[in-house]
Parts: sequence; structure tokens; C-alpha cells
Amino acid sequence: MDPLSTLHIRIINQVFELDKKTSAKPELLSLQRNIDRIKQHFEEAGYTILNPLGEPYRETRVDYEASITGEMSPDMEIVNVIKPVVYYTNGGQKSILQKGVVIAAAK
Amino acid sequence: MSNQINFGIDLGTTNSLIARFQNGAVEIFKNPFGQKETLPSVVAFRKDRIIVGDKARELIEKDPENVFSSFKRKMGTSESFFVPNTSDFKTPVELSALVLRELKNFIYTGEKPEAVIITIPASFDTIQSNATKKAGNDAGFSEVLLLQEPIAASLAFANKQANATSLQGQWLVYDLGGGTFDVALVKIVDGEMRVTDHEGDNYLGGVDFDIAIIEQLVTPALQQQHTLPDLLTEMRSARGKYNTLYHILLKKAEEVKVQLTASPSAEMEFEITDATGQPHDIYLTITREQFETVIYDRIQYSVDLVKKIIDRNHLTAADIKEVVMIGGSTYIPMVKTLVAAQLGIPVNCSVDPTTAVAAGAAWYAGTKTITQSNPAASKPLAAGMPDIRFKTAYQKNTADKEEYFTAIVTGPVAGLSYRIVRADGGYDSGIKPLQERISEMLLLAENTSNVFNILVFDAAHNELAVQAPVIAISQGKFNIHGQPLPNDICIEIDDLENNTTKLELIFEKNAILPLRKTIIKEVMKTILRTSQDSLLINVLEGSRYAIPGSCVPLGMIEIKSTDLITDLVKGSDVEITLQISESRDLSVRAVLLMNEQEFSEVFNPMVRKINTGKLLDDIRQLRLNASEKIKSFRRSQQYELAATVQDIMVDLDHISNRLELLSTDDVTDEKYQLEEKKRKLAQHLDSTGKDQLIVEITELYFKRKEYCLYNIREEEDSARMIRFEKIIADESACLSSQSYYAIKAKIDELNDLCWEIRRNKPETWINAYYYYANVSTDDYTDPQTAARFKEIGEKALERKNYEELKVAVNQLYNLMPDTKKETDQLKGTGIG
Repeated sequence: MDPLSTLHIRIINQVFELDKKTSAKPELLSLQRNIDRIKQHFEEAGYTILNPLGEPYRETRVDYEASITGEMSPDMEIVNVIKPVVYYTNGGQKSILQKGVVIAAAK
Repeated sequence: MSNQINFGIDLGTTNSLIARFQNGAVEIFKNPFGQKETLPSVVAFRKDRIIVGDKARELIEKDPENVFSSFKRKMGTSESFFVPNTSDFKTPVELSALVLRELKNFIYTGEKPEAVIITIPASFDTIQSNATKKAGNDAGFSEVLLLQEPIAASLAFANKQANATSLQGQWLVYDLGGGTFDVALVKIVDGEMRVTDHEGDNYLGGVDFDIAIIEQLVTPALQQQHTLPDLLTEMRSARGKYNTLYHILLKKAEEVKVQLTASPSAEMEFEITDATGQPHDIYLTITREQFETVIYDRIQYSVDLVKKIIDRNHLTAADIKEVVMIGGSTYIPMVKTLVAAQLGIPVNCSVDPTTAVAAGAAWYAGTKTITQSNPAASKPLAAGMPDIRFKTAYQKNTADKEEYFTAIVTGPVAGLSYRIVRADGGYDSGIKPLQERISEMLLLAENTSNVFNILVFDAAHNELAVQAPVIAISQGKFNIHGQPLPNDICIEIDDLENNTTKLELIFEKNAILPLRKTIIKEVMKTILRTSQDSLLINVLEGSRYAIPGSCVPLGMIEIKSTDLITDLVKGSDVEITLQISESRDLSVRAVLLMNEQEFSEVFNPMVRKINTGKLLDDIRQLRLNASEKIKSFRRSQQYELAATVQDIMVDLDHISNRLELLSTDDVTDEKYQLEEKKRKLAQHLDSTGKDQLIVEITELYFKRKEYCLYNIREEEDSARMIRFEKIIADESACLSSQSYYAIKAKIDELNDLCWEIRRNKPETWINAYYYYANVSTDDYTDPQTAARFKEIGEKALERKNYEELKVAVNQLYNLMPDTKKETDQLKGTGIG
């Protein structure tokens, strides 16, 4: 990955952390707009940032790496997202730039 | 076609890689799913499919009976593994073959190598080596050559250097990977590189260091701060209260480990709930020193193994040229320093330790010629291809996040397998047996067109060029409820340069609803709370190239001075979010970033709101525009057009008079009718003589383009030439849009580019200085200061100090009376 993309990914990961915190803490809600704006700037620049939190766990989904906690079950969901999934679209071609890092558990 | 093998594979215990030698360089291939160079050597057998790599690794702990890793350690043994999910036995050779086949998918060039170099540990005996070879053959490589890992690594290092002096004497290869440690003594014997001795530990590697961070640093720190009984047990137990946290910490610890390779300390941040149910935000700083303390014993043990080799071979440090470091864990600074300090031998870290073995294998492959020619393997897609046909069924447009796909397959499917992959690398069905009827739940990326390819493989996992259809499913975007916008949606902003307002595009015609966008605009005038001024956010529907007055107003927020909690300063930002729902409701939210004040309103397209003050201002602008046009038409003796515009002006005056008579709380329809009339007049005015205006601005555009090109050529500035070409690239589309503003915007871009060149030229500032020096001192707003700067400028000119001259010119410019201000009648929107 080129240094600029690496820098972008680092910033995206930090913004994602901020986003998680503000969602959990109502007193930080005033930051949400700024966070949304930074995310929007990245999206305008061709990045697609996905947060699979709460989605069903699928072993065919290869844009994230999951650690499975607790017992295996056919009905699992993503309970924690450590790093978001990031795609980058360049010249109409979309590809994965960062695999998500998630924790999956039985519902 | 090259007759060299060229392809090299590092078939590792933990991870595997594939590389290719071409034109004197080595390329490490990346996994099309996630772009990583490494493929975990893990195979999972699910009920109906086989998964290899990252997704298989996820399941290791949870489904150990059906997921297999580290099988390389069992190569050459009679051991085989029972797979409950398939009620079948798998040998280490078969599992390795699956990994090798998966690596073939990394080759994005479409090449189908028939020969390959596969690396093996120095410790592998003949049986183990033959087992590896068999795995290679089973994976579809007709010719497999083996290469010892330390030799491969040494080749990678040697090829990195300008000359091959390092290939003399003897050296050690220290390989500390994710889960295993190996050390080998390598030397040249009779002109041939050989491993003369080796040592290792199959259970020492980076994962142990991650666990050490959690168990020896994080856990004690947590227990010191909070009440967390049996924390470690609760973390490590699958049903433990903190098992999820343990998995989070494993990932975080790995990150910390990586950060500590470059920084003296790293932060670890997570949440934990204590025994009383109280949540805590944890911020731990882990220093490199702490990390080194907890891993010291393990690194020391690895060094002891190296010493064992040295002693066993009756060598001293002086006999060994260097220690070549490979394996991801050798990134840790202490590993390098401890090895160098304790052994007294220089360490060589000049090659990426993760890919060194694969790279070395590829270098070697570049020198080896294919001996067996297997036309069937090299041309697997030619004659004899099974006639496989698919009849597919799936929904092409959907709002769901996954879509059921099914196909009836005809032809000789026995022994074949298939896999469905999404073109963006986000979905992989895994390898499944091809049957007469196949089905799959396809995961879709949202709001886009998803393209899936069906790949078909023969028993040796060679891809077959069957006529498999491409599956294309549009998610969200072409939702059946979605409808396109009939016109552009714009906001009106000030155009101070031309003393009018203009449109800025927000949503383009034909964009699919719902839509949302946030933009930041600048406040163009200071609004004091005590004033009668206001800021207008006016959303209009119409062509982006039209004048604002001719568009349909959709909604407007007026932020009055009396609504403000503080004065609003010119230059501050306003964040505007526009949202249009599927049912065409328009929501406008404006936030004044200076004081965080928020204004929002939802406009229903059935309810039109008219602001009389804004309407009057529009009419005033239209009148100004009209009188300019009349003058211009008269100058060019186009009297008919002048008369038409004159009539428009009369009608505008009529509307203006009617509006003045309306009370502020008028409840009749009249203001709507007047607004409608104004819009029609604006459209009429806009189109009258437009052709002439376009001709003039087009002429100006070409002059400016020529001038810009002249400046760039004179400077021989290639970077600016590229920018120039970029600006003029869509010239024909811009000119054919027949939009005054679009052409004007291009001219502005060219002007900016010209100015960038000119501002670096002394003559620009000299000319500018003469211009300002010739303005009478009394005409400046502050004659005394102006006189001073004229003098400074004069002296700077004498000394040829152009930086100083620039300052003087800028100061003089600022002291010029603001003529615009005097003539400015624009009330405008206040944003731009």
C-alpha cells in the first residue's frame, strides 16, 4: 500500500474509534457531526467504510477477519468491530483496502 | 513463452506465499480477497464446502475437529485426520495440496504454471520432502522442485545486494515466524550452497508474544485498578465472562507489538465491565521495555539454540559472516539486538522477513528450466474441455443484503468443483463440488452493482474455461421504490465578483432517491445580531446552468440576525445538509460552525414557501441584469433584443410593485403567482441574447487558454502542463453545455493556473508596483501609509528585492478604496 493510503487507513481507523465512542456516550454527541463529516470526506475520495456490527456472521464474507468468542452456533452475529472494512474505488474498480477485524458470537 | 519455472512457493507451517520471477525482479502475489500476501495454512471443511486461508483460521478454535492447521509438521507421517463434516479422512499431503491450489488463485495474470519451486524446512527428511512434492503434484503442478527454506532466504538476501560477496564463507539463517522458530547454518561447499546444520522449536513464535502481553502486562494492570476476580481464567475459558475481551485483546496486543517495533511505547484502549457491572474505559501504555521484559526468556531461548549449533560445529563468532534474519517476529528490535549482542555476529535485516523465503524461491525458480513438458497442463483450456453449461436463476435487482442464486448445470460435472467470487473481493463461496443443481446465498455490497464470477476447476484444481455466466445483481441503488430526480437540485450562493447569485449543484438530475449530502460553505458577510440582515439557504430545482431566478424554489431557510446567539463573522463556515426522501420530502439542516447553532426544516414539495424579501431581491438582481443587457444590446445595435428586455423590465417592476403592497401575513395565493411570474420572466431574460453572451465568453475562454499555454511553455513547466491539460480535457463538453457559468468556471481555473506562474516572475510585481505607484497617494484609503509603502516599494525595486516589493504591492492593494463595496447592491444569500 502506498504511504498516502496507509495514512488514510490510519485516520479512518481513528475516526471509526471516535465514532464508536460517541455512539456509546450521549455526552459526546456534539462530536458526531464532525465525525460524520470526516467520514463523508473519505467517501467522496473513493473510500467505502463499513461497520458490520450487528450483522449476521457469514463464513463466506471475506472482507473481514473474525475471532469467534464463546460456543460455535449456526446463528452468530458480529458483536464487536475492532477495525472497519474499507474498500477503495479507483477508476470504477472497487477493491478491499483493509479487511475488517471483528468479534463474532452466538446471538 | 518463458521456459523457466519462475514460480516459487513458501509452504509454511503458519502462513504460505507465492511469488514469481520476471524480468530480473520478484513479485509477491496477493490474495484477491483482502490483498494480503500471506495465506494462513489452514483448511476448514464445512458441511458443503472447503474453505482455505483467513476464513478457515477463524474457525480453528471453535471447530477444531473440522479445521486443520500446522499439518506441515505431520508431512511424511502416516497420520491422517478424520473430518466429521465429510465423514472422510484427509492426509497432510491432501491438506497441503489444498493450500497450494488456493495459492494458485493469487496469480492475477491468468498464468497456469505447470512447474514450481516449493520450499521445505532444513529438517525435512526424504519422506517428508517426497510428501511435499506429492502435494505439489496433487495441486496440479506437473513438475515440483524443492528448495530448503534457509537457502531460499539466503538467495533473497544475496540478490538484494549489488554483488554476491555475502555468498562466501558461512552464515546463519535465523527464522522466527508466527508460530515456529528455525535456525540453520549455511555455507558454500564445492561451489554449492548447503545447509550444514539446523535447530528449531515448533512452538515458539509471535503468537506467544501477543499472549505474553495479555497475561503478563494487561491482566495484572487491570487487576490492580479494578475488581476483576479470576480474570485470566474467565478470559481463556470459551464460556468465560471475558472470553470476548480475550479475543479483542489478542488483536490489540498484536497491534501493540507491531507499534513497538517503531515506537518506544504504544497505547492499548478498550472497555471492560467490572464485577459490579460498572463499565470502565481502559487506556494502557505499554512501553517497549515492558514488552521486552516479558518476551526476554523466549528470545534468549532462541539465541541459546543458535549457540548450540555454533558450539556443536566447533565454530566461533569470527567464523560466521552474518546472521540473516527472517520471519515476521524478527521485526522486534530486541530480537535483532539480542542476537547481535550475544552472538557477536552482525545481523542482516535487509530483506522483508515475511516474504524472504517466497522471494528466494522465486529467484531460484528464475534460474531453473522446466524439464517436463506437459502440454495438457500448460494448455488446460484447449481441446477436450468438458461442455458445461449453466442455466441461472436469481433476482437482478434487490433491496436485500443477500440474494439466493441457483443454477442448473448440464454436462459431465463429476469430479469437478466450483467457486463463486465477488469481483471486489468481498465474497468467496469456498470450493464446492459441482453438481447438476447448485445454489448459494450471495452476499451483496450495498448500493452498488455486484458482479460475481463462477470459476470451475478440474480434479487437479486447474481452472477450466467453461462458458460460465457472470452474475450481476444491483443492490439498493436500483431499488424498485427508488425514483430518479427529474431535475438538478442546487443551492443558491453569492457570486460577488459579478455582483449576483449563482447555482451550486447538490444532486444531479437522474440521481436515485433517497439522497443525502453535506457541504460546507463560507459566510460571505458579517451579520450582527443588531442588524436587519439574514442568511439564506435557498434550495432550487432546475438546470444547474440556469440563473437562480429561473428555477423552482423547493425550500429556503432564513437565518435572521435576531435568531443568532452570537454575531456571525464573515469567513466562518456553515455546514449544510440536504436530504431528499423517496417521497421527495426535502430536509435542510444548517449548522453555523462558529457558534454550533443549528437550524433545520423539512419542506414538503406540496407546500411551497415564498420569502417576499428574497423575491424582491431576486427582482432587483434581475433588473440589474436586464439593464446591463439592454446597454449591451444597444451597443451592438441589437435593438429588437433591447426592446424585449425592456418589456421584461416593465413586467418585473409590475411584480415588484405588487409585492411591495403585500402585507407580511398575506394569506392569498398572490405571492405564489408573483413568484411564478418572476420565474418565467427570469427564464425569458436568461434566454434573450444568450447566444451572443455565449459567443463572447467562448472567445474569452480561447484567449485565456492561449495565454495560459504561452506562460507554461515559456517556463517549460511539465507539472503545470499536466494540470493545464486536465483543465481543458472536458473542453468540448463544457463549451457544448452552452452554460455561461460553466465556461466562466473554466476561465477561472485557467486564470488561477496563470497566476501561479506569473506570481513567481519579478516582472509581474514590477508592473503591479508601477500601477499602484501611479495611483495618486490621496486616492488611497490611508494616504500616509500608502506613501510609506510606495517608498518601500521604490527602494525594494532599486535593490531588486522582489520579496519586499511583493509585500509593498500587497499592502498598496489593500489600501485601495473598495469600489465594489460602494456599488454593491447585492443582498444575496450571504453564503458562497
